[in-house]
Amino acid sequence: MTLVNAPLPPLPERPPPAPSVLVDVYRACEALPVVGSLFTRGKREAQALLSLIVAAVLDELDLTAIVRDRLPAEAIETVIARIDLVALADEVINGVDLPAIIRGSTNSVTAEVMTDVRTQGERADDAVSGFVDRVLGRRQGSHDRP
Amino acid sequence: MTVRDDRTARTAGVVSRTVAALIDLAVVGGLLGLLYIGLVLTKLALNPGSFRFPALELVFTGLVGFVVAVLYLGGCWSVSGRTAGAAVMGLQVLGRHSDLLKPPAAFLRGAACVVFPLGLAWVALDQHRRSLQDNVFGSRVVYVHPC
Repeated sequence: MTLVNAPLPPLPERPPPAPSVLVDVYRACEALPVVGSLFTRGKREAQALLSLIVAAVLDELDLTAIVRDRLPAEAIETVIARIDLVALADEVINGVDLPAIIRGSTNSVTAEVMTDVRTQGERADDAVSGFVDRVLGRRQGSHDRP
Repeated sequence: MTVRDDRTARTAGVVSRTVAALIDLAVVGGLLGLLYIGLVLTKLALNPGSFRFPALELVFTGLVGFVVAVLYLGGCWSVSGRTAGAAVMGLQVLGRHSDLLKPPAAFLRGAACVVFPLGLAWVALDQHRRSLQDNVFGSRVVYVHPC
């Protein structure tokens, strides 16, 4: 099943990182016997700080607004037109085991209702027995003995 | 179905047993309805030209209802100790030694329950929650559902 009517061009492969003299020097410093651990710790601190900054920037970005404002409407419509929405919906529906979900939820609801009905019946039995015991002047709870 | 080997199981009271009996009454009514539909279809298949709905005679209907109810109750009690109503309410009918009723006792108890259903009301007054039929046949109705 194809979800897109026309094939998309393949993505260009990411080029390998360019060799950097600074990176090589830093790695060599990390391998030093005494101060190497300081360089490693400094790298970790810098990575943690960078992660916080990137997360803050991403939180501030409104990707929906960027797409809406920067991309032309024709391009969005072209992309949507190339997607076979019916096939996509069929694939999603096929992936969901709807009968199992309905069966599971129905079973749990039925079991809860049955337990509730039985518990209420037992309480009503005890209430009637307690009332009759009081009226007849009997010791309560004697009916529990077989 | 296995019988709980628990002689200290609590005896069921009048409310649970009455509700179970009403459910069983509905089941027997449904069985009678199915029998009537089967009779109608049989007559229609045999004499399609002169077909008329069979009249419900009181005596015959009562007799068939009695037989169906006794077979239903006695069969369920002797096989599993539980009718449909008892299964819904979490009850089980046990014999004198906390075992299942023997078929003769089960069918006789069923007949007694059909002939004199008011015997169930004695459960509310009896100290050990036994109906008149329980006292006669030495049976007990206990809770089998976990609470």
